[in-house]
Amino acid sequence: MKLSTKCRYGLRALIDLAIYSGGGHVALHEIAARQNISLKYLEQDFSVLRRAGLVKSIKGAQGGYLLARPASTIRVGEIIETLEGDLLVIEIDESEETDIRSFLSKGLWTTLNQNAAHALNSLYLSDLVEFHLAHGSGEMFYI
Amino acid sequence: MRISTKGSYALEAMIAVALTDTLHAVSIREISERTKISDKYLEQIFSSLKKKKLIVGIRGAGGGYRLAHDAAKITAGDIIRAAEISISPVVCVNDPESCPRSESCVTRVVWSRLDNTISETLDHISLQQLKDAFVLERENISDYFSI
Repeated sequence: MKLSTKCRYGLRALIDLAIYSGGGHVALHEIAARQNISLKYLEQDFSVLRRAGLVKSIKGAQGGYLLARPASTIRVGEIIETLEGDLLVIEIDESEETDIRSFLSKGLWTTLNQNAAHALNSLYLSDLVEFHLAHGSGEMFYI
Repeated sequence: MRISTKGSYALEAMIAVALTDTLHAVSIREISERTKISDKYLEQIFSSLKKKKLIVGIRGAGGGYRLAHDAAKITAGDIIRAAEISISPVVCVNDPESCPRSESCVTRVVWSRLDNTISETLDHISLQQLKDAFVLERENISDYFSI
């Protein structure tokens, strides 16, 4: 079960933005350089994030992005759902309904998806920022 | 974040095996009919399950497969892990050596939490419990219709 590169990079970029924006906006190429992520990936991700209302853009040569809401109100689950499309650990197989498949869909798979969504939605972007500030190893910190 | 069809089909197949009379080995053909999963796919799945010693193959006439242990000792997590390459959302969760950032990586915190939640859910339910719940549900439905 793998999370897409798009999702992993997007989350890292948002954490970077939350840490470095200092109330203002940050240019994507700065995030790209700090996080060693391709600018192209970031442009795609931030376009999606902007449409979902998680970030706002400032146009122009000195432009960039900033968070649309405080980091303490942005759930990690929201971010992942925006970038991945859903928070499903397992997609319910609609084809060929058998009694066992139906039993699992209504039971274990539903529970699994709910538990995963709950776990991701109980974490906020601000929690990740705090973790980073507490555990970042000196100059060379990683997100 | 996905459990692929291989993982979910493996669990369905194991429930089907657990539902059969445990004195007899069950053939892939029988499981295929029960679960509507192709023989070919089941062969791949059973091969993985056999490797992880969750089922044993019985040769000869009346041969097939049987659970290797008591269904109560096999968890949903055991089965899905046997079928899937990995159920962790990213490699570094289980193998910190794979990435130089592991120690201070914030996103790893997220993935670890997700991984723990998934493992907790899947490791707390046994094949026996699933079988019992399935049988109970089936009985309840037929009771409902027989009134």
